[in-house]
Amino acid sequence: MTEIEQLLARQARWQKSRKALSWPEKIRMAEQIRASVAQWRSLAGYNAAAAHKSKSVRA
Amino acid sequence: MLNEMQSAGVIQNYALFGATAQMRYTEPVATLDADVLVAVPSPDRLDALGGIYGFCAAKGYHPEGEAIQVRAWPVQFVPVFSPLTREAMEQAETADFEGVPFRVVRADYLAVIALSVGRSKDCARILALLESDSVSREEIERLAVRHGLAEAWRRFERRFLND
Repeated sequence: MTEIEQLLARQARWQKSRKALSWPEKIRMAEQIRASVAQWRSLAGYNAAAAHKSKSVRA
Repeated sequence: MLNEMQSAGVIQNYALFGATAQMRYTEPVATLDADVLVAVPSPDRLDALGGIYGFCAAKGYHPEGEAIQVRAWPVQFVPVFSPLTREAMEQAETADFEGVPFRVVRADYLAVIALSVGRSKDCARILALLESDSVSREEIERLAVRHGLAEAWRRFERRFLND
């Protein structure tokens, strides 16, 4: 097994181990994922707006 | 709050479904809201969910888009809309959420509801449930056949499960 394959196998094991968490723990993890997604989306929206503004200024 | 709503007669029954229910069996997944199947006393009324909205408003939880924001989660209340979803709600298991009993749709029903909807994320849900060994192919097939989804299940098997 190459180093990359070992890394991927470790990652897969770690991901699968999350299945064994309790349901409330998984829900809390999902809450954190949701907060990150919301932050990322608002940042993406902010970047798109900034890019649009800068294009309008140049035009 | 759902148990209180049921005791107060605002809803006759409920069960959590969708991604938050799936997480009982699988790894955590990204989801924006919590979906709850509900049976309401007057499902044919235009404002069938009016009682739920009123109850939530009295508790300080207000609508945001199609959901009601309950603490950290936007909650979508979905009246049972087919014999499958009614049965899923009635056959739900009572899970413990940090000391609070919570009705949650079983893995086999989650898979077959996902099969009936059929979007990409629903296919991923079925595969995740199968991979978690919380439901078998045979159990899904039996339930799918009983609810007129035999062809949908055959298509799913051909596409994702046949080696």
